[in-house]
Amino acid sequence: MTTIKNQRPLARRLRATLGKVGRILFLASAVLFAVVPILWAVLTSLKSPPEVALYPPTFLPRDWTLENYRGAVFYNDTFLHYLFNTAVIVVVTALICLVLSAHAAYSVARYRFRFSGGIMFAMFSTIMIPGVAIVIPLYMLSVKVGLYDTVLVLILVYGAWLTPTLVWLLRGFVIGIPIELEEAARIDGCSRLGAFYRVTLPLLRAGLLAGAVLIFANIWNEFLLGYSLVQSETARVVQVGIYANLTEVGVQWGRLTACAVTAMVPVLIVYALLQRAFVQGLSAGAVKG
Amino acid sequence: MTLIDLHDGDELMMVDRPRRRRIAAFPYLMLAPAFLLIAGVSFLPIGYAIVQSFFRSSNLNLGRLVGWQNYGDFFLTRNGLGAVANSLIFVAGTLAIAVPLGFALALALNRPMPLRGLIRTLLILPWLVSNLVGALLWGWLGNPQYGLAPYVLEKIGVGFPNIITDPGAAMASVVVASAWAATPLVMVFVLAALQTVPIDLIEAARIDGASPWQRFWSITLPLVRNTTMVALVLTSLHAFKSVEIVLVMTGGGPNGATETMALKVFKEAFTLLRLGVGSAGAVAIFLINVMFTMAFVRVLRTEHGA
Repeated sequence: MTTIKNQRPLARRLRATLGKVGRILFLASAVLFAVVPILWAVLTSLKSPPEVALYPPTFLPRDWTLENYRGAVFYNDTFLHYLFNTAVIVVVTALICLVLSAHAAYSVARYRFRFSGGIMFAMFSTIMIPGVAIVIPLYMLSVKVGLYDTVLVLILVYGAWLTPTLVWLLRGFVIGIPIELEEAARIDGCSRLGAFYRVTLPLLRAGLLAGAVLIFANIWNEFLLGYSLVQSETARVVQVGIYANLTEVGVQWGRLTACAVTAMVPVLIVYALLQRAFVQGLSAGAVKG
Repeated sequence: MTLIDLHDGDELMMVDRPRRRRIAAFPYLMLAPAFLLIAGVSFLPIGYAIVQSFFRSSNLNLGRLVGWQNYGDFFLTRNGLGAVANSLIFVAGTLAIAVPLGFALALALNRPMPLRGLIRTLLILPWLVSNLVGALLWGWLGNPQYGLAPYVLEKIGVGFPNIITDPGAAMASVVVASAWAATPLVMVFVLAALQTVPIDLIEAARIDGASPWQRFWSITLPLVRNTTMVALVLTSLHAFKSVEIVLVMTGGGPNGATETMALKVFKEAFTLLRLGVGSAGAVAIFLINVMFTMAFVRVLRTEHGA
């Protein structure tokens, strides 16, 4: 009995230590796997062009320089214009999308009406349409109606693309708000719409924030539709701008990685500021992604 | 009285007809703008794609009716069946790495430890990077001429095949890039589910003498299985429709060895300008998505019923 008592804690402690070491090693290698591609691009972007083309490669830059950023980003009006385009599209789409989907979410969360089940099913089923499945008709239709190669077509397409997911997300938030609050407002003389604007909408803030983050992350990182529906540099978005650099003859990896790192920064900043809303929004949007 | 009762209330209809009509219209009016946008920009195109898939397009017009020929062309010419196989390998490979890895990371992170928040953030980073940039990062890391990966691996004695010219290595590299991007989603989903597992339950099992393995197998796993399934399905759908990773890293090469269905749709439409053939592939992708989702919903439902 006593021997068992003496041995067991030792074996258990040994196993616990081994488990701990194993876990640390596992997490460390996973972190390396996640971070190394990003880190390598950041380091590349900080090297001078001749150093980028060295083999064997240097790990840390010999002379740290912002030359690539100056040439490819800060003093490159075209790339700045792509960033500006993308920002405008994000803001306008977010406004349209949030307004439309807040109303729609309220409607499907609070009312059961004729065809409501069918309409909801049809709307949510579009979440399952992958971009690549409708990119060809969108291209053809946008040429026909004269919206091809404009910022407007991207706003419309991104709006329709993200609205169902947002309705789904916000519907959950509306259901979480006690209906008694609206009833109290109604008794106090509010109209239905008034009760929605004055009582429900302010309480949806967390949901609207998660929705805004979802819109931002998805549009900022979108490539396929931005590539297919826009041709000229005037309306080009940032991901397509990066791709255009990549397909140039004789890729300049220093400049290219500088552009890629720049495109990552806004998303990282928003993530740092709004982690909770970010994960919430990205998880909801993962269906669409 | 709830709002739902209000609009169903027969007594209201008797008293005040016009008012009742306004009440009935209210939910429709709230829904209409969103619905119209979705109808115009989602329903219409998918319908258009289905119609176009039976016509041979010319100059952006519908063109002439060709029946199933576009489908035949998509699947049977220019390595069509190869693209189907490549899509399968790409999706299966992504799942085979991302799901176990994401799951294991969630388990490892689901206990207090120093720097936990930082580690979690670093592991989430790939989720924040666009697929296009992610592909570019991996392409640069494995670049046969200047890349860090070939250099390091050759230094430690492991050979590194050329990811542009070697078919197997090309497929492996796009799968790794795809799994890299997909792992955080699995991790975040499973971690969220793990945090809902009641600690008392695990504690009670421990006191009753259940080994860690038994506790995991009989308590934790059943409670997070549905979430894991959801993450698995999202990951497959996402990988299946992904164009960017293959487009950027290999362009479908060498010699079609990494050309997936999604990339083939893209190329048929925007490189070869065969919009009808591309539409046929697009419709096929859409239908496979729908069937996969429906099968999955059914599985989840029967599990809930059981």
